[in-house]
Amino acid sequence: MNYAYFPGCKIPHHLPAYGQAVTALCAALGIGLEPLEFNCCGEPVRHRSFEAWALSAGRNLALAQRAGLAIMTPCKCCFGSLKHAAYWLRENPALRAQVGAALAEEDLSLPEEPQVLHLLTVLDRDVPSDELAARAGGRLYGLKVAAHYGCHALRPGNVTNFDDPLNPSIFERLLRRVGATPVPWALRLECCGHPLRGKRDKFSLALKARKLADARDAGAQILVTACTYCQMQFAEPDEGLAAVAQQTAESTRGAMPGRTRERSADNPQADTPPAMLAAQLIGLGIGLSPQELGLAELPAPLVHPVSLGHEE
Amino acid sequence: MNWNGMDFFHAGLTLGLFALGLGLAAKALSWLRLTIAPGPRPGMAARLAALARGLARNLAPRRAARWGRALILDGLLQRRIAGNGAYRWLMHIMIFSGFMGLLLMHGLDELTSERWLPGYAPALDPYQWLRNLFGVLALGGLAVAVWRRRVLPRVRRITGAQDWALILLLLGIMLSGLGLEASKIISPHVFDSMVEQYLGTDDEAEINALRLLWSEEYGVVFPAAPVYSAEVLARGREAHEGSCVYCHSRPTSAFVSYPLARAVAPLGNALNAWRADQLFYYLHVGLCFLGLALLPWGKFLHPLSTPLNLTLRQGRTGSDTGTKPPALAAVLRPLGLDACTHCGACSEHCSVAPSFLVLGTPDILPSEKLGSLKRHAAGQLRGPALRAFAEGSQICTECLRCTSVCPSGIDLQDLWMQSKARLRQTGPGEPHAVLGQRALRDWAATFRSLPPARAEATRSVKLCDNRASFWGCIQCTTCTSVCPVVAASEAPTRELDLTPQQIMNMLRMGLKEEVLGAEMVWSCVTCYKCQENCPQGVRVADVLYELRTLAWARLREHPEAWDEDGPRDSARDTAISRRNAETGRGPEAEHGAALEGDTP
Repeated sequence: MNYAYFPGCKIPHHLPAYGQAVTALCAALGIGLEPLEFNCCGEPVRHRSFEAWALSAGRNLALAQRAGLAIMTPCKCCFGSLKHAAYWLRENPALRAQVGAALAEEDLSLPEEPQVLHLLTVLDRDVPSDELAARAGGRLYGLKVAAHYGCHALRPGNVTNFDDPLNPSIFERLLRRVGATPVPWALRLECCGHPLRGKRDKFSLALKARKLADARDAGAQILVTACTYCQMQFAEPDEGLAAVAQQTAESTRGAMPGRTRERSADNPQADTPPAMLAAQLIGLGIGLSPQELGLAELPAPLVHPVSLGHEE
Repeated sequence: MNWNGMDFFHAGLTLGLFALGLGLAAKALSWLRLTIAPGPRPGMAARLAALARGLARNLAPRRAARWGRALILDGLLQRRIAGNGAYRWLMHIMIFSGFMGLLLMHGLDELTSERWLPGYAPALDPYQWLRNLFGVLALGGLAVAVWRRRVLPRVRRITGAQDWALILLLLGIMLSGLGLEASKIISPHVFDSMVEQYLGTDDEAEINALRLLWSEEYGVVFPAAPVYSAEVLARGREAHEGSCVYCHSRPTSAFVSYPLARAVAPLGNALNAWRADQLFYYLHVGLCFLGLALLPWGKFLHPLSTPLNLTLRQGRTGSDTGTKPPALAAVLRPLGLDACTHCGACSEHCSVAPSFLVLGTPDILPSEKLGSLKRHAAGQLRGPALRAFAEGSQICTECLRCTSVCPSGIDLQDLWMQSKARLRQTGPGEPHAVLGQRALRDWAATFRSLPPARAEATRSVKLCDNRASFWGCIQCTTCTSVCPVVAASEAPTRELDLTPQQIMNMLRMGLKEEVLGAEMVWSCVTCYKCQENCPQGVRVADVLYELRTLAWARLREHPEAWDEDGPRDSARDTAISRRNAETGRGPEAEHGAALEGDTP
């Protein structure tokens, strides 16, 4: 099936590896991605102006409608923002009229039933489970992973309709299909802390540290994400935060999953698992090369030769 | 041309070149002085040294070849403009080839054509024909430019005085050139002065014979039309072939200016009496000198700065300036700023353009923000303009799209990331930063003193002001107990002011102003656990989102309540309100700075 591909704003510069991984994975699994020129999902401006957010998100829904496609996004914040917009534009006729009028100037119109899906849902729904398992073979066998759900896809459940918001299973299900072993962990549904990054760093870092430590204590070798922001939160170094992030470009580029974190004694994140994108892990699982998936190097737990049977 | 004309020419040229030299020197100096990035500011010597090192490194043949390739593909053939659509490429290549053709063959002919083209004379073919061709090319391109800036909504909304100034200057040069050519064709004064200089006789009969020929075949309009006779015409042709033919083809090849001369021939005597040829000469040459003097400023510089920037970028469409040595990057950034042609491609594709439509701040659009960034780097932004620049900068999501579509190859991504980082140091800060500056008590007093924002009254979704939103709340504290921020806080009452359930309770009592500045509101991580877990279906997280938008709407309308950099500019606001009333834009738009007339 074909989808309107909604990478979101952060992939092109800040996390290009995610874009590479999604494109490669979808190509390998026969999921068609149509690039449309979407605008920002609206999430970043939602703190400032509800109306600016609603028009930003609504315009994307209208663009997908004009192309006759459902939106597929690999970012949970984009997903949540678009689902919220679909919700409010359905629930509030005044808002719908306001956004509709602005869109009408570009000959766009709001869809009656916007179709917005997250990458995980598409992988779960469109790829037969036995096919994924068959293609994965045993490459990831025995790898213990912690599935990090990401808030904006999960909650509020009546808006996002992603999975059971209190006891979701889609992420673990997919990881099991490619042979990995998801571990149960207490904080799997908690926030990564990114929304407060650069805003209230103290809380942002505390949430991140708590999650990483919990995943480690649960025995996870890798923390798996399925959201651009969550991945940036777990993979970016924290040094530049309090001060000015002078060269974010450089730091993000160097922040591939698996880059060894500083493991000094006074670092509370010592020995915490590296974060990796689900698209990359599943891609490795079905035999795509690290290069295709935007991985400059493999995370330490995957370097062991028997754990990952790549044909070099 | 007569002596006065020459005097005008030399005086104008000298002045024009002087202004050009001064302007270019100031520009080059600005590349060594302006600072966009935060942190230590590389000095001039460091920048020059970095530039020299960079140049030296790139002298190796393979690297130099990459520069050459970029100069030819992006600079001359303008591949990046083609990436923005065929019509835009056609438009620009027409202006470019027409203008450059005229400049090289005609404008600088003493340095070019007369040296390199044997037997060159301006009124000979093919030069006469080529001059018309170049003029038509440039005029055709300029017509498309006028059309797109007037008709296409996304281009019209960013078009400002400077864009029109450049278009009008070029149109003026081209049209006055055609006018000059046509008025010289019909001018008996020009005929007489040529006869005096080149005929080598003052035999009135011969001159009269030549008059007849030039009246019949070359379009000169004499005050008293020469009487036709085949015999006299033959004699005129003889004199013509002896003296004139070496420099004059028949003007019919001037396929625009000759028909123009024929068309105005009935008015020829009047035009000649007014010395239209001299008027057009002063106009044409004067406009060219004006262009020369304006060349170092604003988008007038782009014929120099854009190819330079494109060559330095070597065809790259990503962002890499931040990875270069700081001193080198410090030179490349202001140079990139000056390569902007204000074509609007970035703003046409901008990911946050919908926010501009709602909020109305022009600086949300990259093409406008770039002008403010120039002023910001020069330390010239204050008050409302500075806040508008900060808002535009903060709303940018760094999606790279402007950088990848920019026909001038400007590393906009890097410019935005650096200027945002600088704003984080110097302010004005983001809403989160502003709200973190005062205690809740002070904010409550501030918010009580401010009237509701206009955006507050017109919104369609109202949660906080609708007490029904909180009817279900039984103060069970579930929201507070599931909140990860409350859990991560060592002392929630001190650090967060209020817990989520306390905020719901206060809103139920109508105490909105008392909670707008609460740290809990601004430390919400938007995880929606509170809302998901609320047994009574209260939209706790949505309410916190709304509180942030309400607080910011008020502070945005009343910057005097938080920004020491001064109150809003009321004269400017009035002008904007008036324009919005004319264009039918909503009240939200009134915050923005003026669009037209405020371009870089």
